[in-house]
Amino acid sequence: MSDQVAKDYTQDLPVLFPYPRIYPEQYAYMCDLKRTLDAGGHCVLEMPSGTGKTVSLLSLIVAYQQFYPEHRKLIYCSRTMSEIEKALAELKALMKYRADQLGEVEDFRGLGLTSRKNLCLHPSVKREKSGSVVDARCRSLTAGFVKEQKERGEDVDLCIYHDNLDLLEPHNLIPPGVWTLDGMLRYGEQQKQCPYFTARRMMPFCNVIIYSYHYLLDPKIAERVSRELSKDCIVVFDEAHNIDNVCIESLSIDLTEESLRKAGRGAANLERKITEMKATDADKLQNEYAKLVEGLRDADQARDEEAFMSNPALPDDLLKEAVPGNIRRAEHFTAFLKRFIEYLKTRMKVLHVISETPPSFLAHLKELTFIEKKPLRFCAERLTSLVRTLELTNIEDYQPLQEVATFATLVATYETGFLLILEPYESDTATVPNPILHFTCLDAAIAIKPVFDRFSSVIITSGTISPLEMYPKMLGFTSVVQESYAMTLARRSFLPMIVTRGSDQSQISSGFQTRDDPQVVRNYGNLLIEMSKLTPDGMVVFFPSYLYMERVISSWQSMGILDSVWKSKLILVETPDSQETSLALETYRTACSNGRGAVLLCVARGKVSEGIDFDHHYGRTVLCIGVPFQYTESRILKARLEFLRETYRIRENDFLSFDAMRHCAQCLGRVLRGKDDYGIMVMADKRFAKKRNQLPKWISSALLESDSQMSVDQAVAASKKFLKMMSKPFPARMQDGISTWSYEDLMEHKRKIEAERDREVKNGEVNGDDHHIHGDVVMAEAQAAEDDMGINDDMDAAMMEL
Amino acid sequence: MSRFTQPKAAPVSKRDPRTGVVQSQDGELLHSHMRLMSLHDGKSIPTDNATLDVCPVCKSARYMNPSLRFLVNPECYHKMCESCVDRIFSHGPAACPIKGCGRTLRKHRFREQTFEDIKVEREVDIRKKVGATFNRREEDFETLLAYNDYLNDVEDITFNLINGIDLEDTNRKFEAYARAHGKEIEENAQMAVQERQSFSAAQKLERQQARERREAARREEEEEKREVEENRRDVLNRLASGADAETVAKEGQRVQLKKRMDRQAAAERQRQLQAAEDAHSGRTSKFVIKGLKTKQKPEPEAPVDPFGGLRLVDSYFTLQDDYVWEGIQEARKDVKQTAGGYDVRDYAHRSLVAAFSGLGVFVADEVTERDKLAQSDEAVGTARADVGLKDADLMTAP
Ligand code: SF4
Ligand SMILES: [Zn+2]
Ligand SMILES: [Zn+2]
Repeated sequence: MSDQVAKDYTQDLPVLFPYPRIYPEQYAYMCDLKRTLDAGGHCVLEMPSGTGKTVSLLSLIVAYQQFYPEHRKLIYCSRTMSEIEKALAELKALMKYRADQLGEVEDFRGLGLTSRKNLCLHPSVKREKSGSVVDARCRSLTAGFVKEQKERGEDVDLCIYHDNLDLLEPHNLIPPGVWTLDGMLRYGEQQKQCPYFTARRMMPFCNVIIYSYHYLLDPKIAERVSRELSKDCIVVFDEAHNIDNVCIESLSIDLTEESLRKAGRGAANLERKITEMKATDADKLQNEYAKLVEGLRDADQARDEEAFMSNPALPDDLLKEAVPGNIRRAEHFTAFLKRFIEYLKTRMKVLHVISETPPSFLAHLKELTFIEKKPLRFCAERLTSLVRTLELTNIEDYQPLQEVATFATLVATYETGFLLILEPYESDTATVPNPILHFTCLDAAIAIKPVFDRFSSVIITSGTISPLEMYPKMLGFTSVVQESYAMTLARRSFLPMIVTRGSDQSQISSGFQTRDDPQVVRNYGNLLIEMSKLTPDGMVVFFPSYLYMERVISSWQSMGILDSVWKSKLILVETPDSQETSLALETYRTACSNGRGAVLLCVARGKVSEGIDFDHHYGRTVLCIGVPFQYTESRILKARLEFLRETYRIRENDFLSFDAMRHCAQCLGRVLRGKDDYGIMVMADKRFAKKRNQLPKWISSALLESDSQMSVDQAVAASKKFLKMMSKPFPARMQDGISTWSYEDLMEHKRKIEAERDREVKNGEVNGDDHHIHGDVVMAEAQAAEDDMGINDDMDAAMMEL
Repeated sequence: MSRFTQPKAAPVSKRDPRTGVVQSQDGELLHSHMRLMSLHDGKSIPTDNATLDVCPVCKSARYMNPSLRFLVNPECYHKMCESCVDRIFSHGPAACPIKGCGRTLRKHRFREQTFEDIKVEREVDIRKKVGATFNRREEDFETLLAYNDYLNDVEDITFNLINGIDLEDTNRKFEAYARAHGKEIEENAQMAVQERQSFSAAQKLERQQARERREAARREEEEEKREVEENRRDVLNRLASGADAETVAKEGQRVQLKKRMDRQAAAERQRQLQAAEDAHSGRTSKFVIKGLKTKQKPEPEAPVDPFGGLRLVDSYFTLQDDYVWEGIQEARKDVKQTAGGYDVRDYAHRSLVAAFSGLGVFVADEVTERDKLAQSDEAVGTARADVGLKDADLMTAP
């Protein structure tokens, strides 16, 4: 391709796009992004998977940053480490391209941040397996007081990688540029400086920060890591279809008898330490006490990046208040904690399920132990202060205690949106109690509220985030732009189908009533056999749950269905064990690459469905067996459904169906990772027929009416036809001007839009905000071009026949 | 925390890190292992699991008798089994059978232990006693600091009582306080009782409402299902009577959609009505607002005074109804004069005011006053000029 400047003017903003060609939906996406940024609000955008969402996002926002004098910082949140790395690489390429085009290297910093476990360089610490151990060990090597001790000449270990940072200029720990995680590690090794702390400390000086959701959403971490980010930052949540669950998890706590016991031990340890300290260094305690009396927050607490633990989301007014008098003294506080833990232990002894609201829990607590709500609220903070005063190093031992303290704070802070559920038995059939106290957050809006309050532009985007209006509702915000883009395709490169009947015309469903019906299982089996016969290379099958998958597989075994599948494909199965699964995946990929072909049986809510791409020959067919509903008997889910109904007026069935369809869409999206990719998407359940409008726009618009009520035979025929079409060569130039635009195409499009607007101006129909090119106009355009192409296609075919 | 992602762990067995013994799910085995553990454990504390299950008096164990119940007496908190209590204390007060204790105990005060840790059990009892006396509320204090200091002091007392530090002194303080503030203690206690009652009432109401809402949601769902079913039957009937399939289906869908919309709109209206009513009748303020100080009633509003306190009273004369003077007698009776509302007394009043005007003025005073004023005016004037100069300076400065 000619290396031409794909300078793409989204209105008056010059955007440098690092590829010679751009997809119409990318252009539309950028227009809408800009509209959001200009308007200064939040938005929800759904962009088909594999259409270069990340690069469009980055190039627009970077252009925006560099063009306007405010230089608004970008915070890009993604879910997994590999996604973070991908985004960083993309950013790096973009910046290089910009430098080439502009002829100068811009003063720009882009950094990624992940946990210490991934970034640590310390020879012995980095070998630890668990993330929390790495964190704890690192803290004991880097805490402020350890350093003081060292200066006093005591024999303590420090991390040299951390100390070297202090020798550098604090705002220039690493040269400007974009640093991938890998690059950071290499640079750190070279310069003997810790990549983790480099990234942490450089965050205020970065133009782009890329890190995981948790750094913003988990109030326990966010307080520490993301405090200094200013209000005008642009926050992006990518792959955000599951964001509500992330929010909820970050505020939910499970307590078991074991963890309570450990917490109790932690409290006893603290008590001992206090006695020790009283004997040796009573001043320190007295000092802390004096500070608490005056209600002063530790001045250096704000700057202490390594605070042992921080507090869950507390309202600001509370943070300014002084710690209540009855937990001011260290020994009073430990006694207080012990009492609270004892109380929790007695609650665990109950042998029937209890669910209660925080106020009723607090009332009972007060009646039994005379613990008031107010000191409880300050628990987490008081504990942090105490731990700091005591200069504890083996912090990991106090983790359970911290959990209890966090729980105390949360339960005393929020009256609604939370529920306590005590489940004495692990399952309905268990006879020996193993109680778990779930303190579960029901309201996703609580955790994300600080983010919306603090930042003026929050962008929520994903490949599958339909129905769009559900998210503002659940997360409690209003959006200025909500858009879903269809996929512009020069030919129909994926074939979604809904199969509702077996070849014997009886209906198929994974629904509760027909679940074990052998006829249904056999029909599913036939579908699998047929599809595995005709699919080249890889095929992925999703089941609603492990339980159901196991049952179906064992029936298939006895029906001899697996044997028939075996003839054409290798069969691999996902298990809850992640190591086994990754082994299976590896085998699967090998089999796909060497031509043997394979079927991967997995679960719609498992690991495979979320993070793993099956591009090109790794996945030509995806088969969804049954609608992946959640397990509705779970008490936590029931509580949440009720909460949603009462608070947000979202009906239970609506939510369940929405949730099932978003997982289904995720599964379907796994096989189509780009415009040159093709694949078949089969949804096999009669219940899908009614839910087709809940699919993302790009899938549902490709799903023909005639394809939405098929039998197995029809589906097989359609697939064959589709594959035959796909096997024809399709040179890339056929896509030009339709599903990809060159610079000229883009300018052409802009001219058209302009002409359109001029006409409107003449007609006097322009209303105030029409200076923006709306995404839908772009898409409508592209659609029209596509339709034109349809005719061309036919003509081509005719020519060939001649 | 990661409840949503983690599959439930298999509950089969746990390995105890200290003994390396695998504890099975079987309850009995579990207990025997616990005892095993305590043997390994050098310093066994009194609340250890093993001693937890054996009566220190008769040595019967829960292992043999699963229904064994233990009781404690808040006099000395020594634990013993129910049958021992019956045996020893049925015939009246007796000494505690635990070696070295010997306190006199009564049967009716024996009770079941709430907390596993007997120390906490005792602590809570003490707190109960302290809390009943020291029941001041945050509203009673001027500042938060004062309240916090109070809390701190109370906690000190409690702590001393629990740990037996300075018992005598502390008890004295305690008693002194109780005596000095008897009335307030009583009042606050009553307030607390009231609060508890209203809280539990509110809770009950809340629960009931939740139940009702659940019920309503279920009914609505059923209703909808029924309607769908009805609709389908209707469509079938019409098809049977030979109507065009497509139009019938479309129409059916439309009708159904409309019905649902109607229902939603109605529900919404209902909700709004309800909310309005709630707001109106003040029913939403059912919950207790704590932390309010008693408010003073505002004083009744004074009538409007347009002159801002300036009162015009005739201080040098009193106006009479009638003045004997020829010139006004005519006008008093003349209809032409009085018809327009003209009153001769107004004329008289005006004349009198004119006659007396200036009587309260002393020229000498006025003059000195004026001189003083002139002086201060000058001062202001110079000051102004100064400022002006500076401004000018600023202006001309580069
Ligand atoms: S400071 Fe950095 S290198 Fe040192 S232990 Fe901590 S994470 Fe590892
Ligand atoms: Zn006994
Ligand atoms: Zn005794």
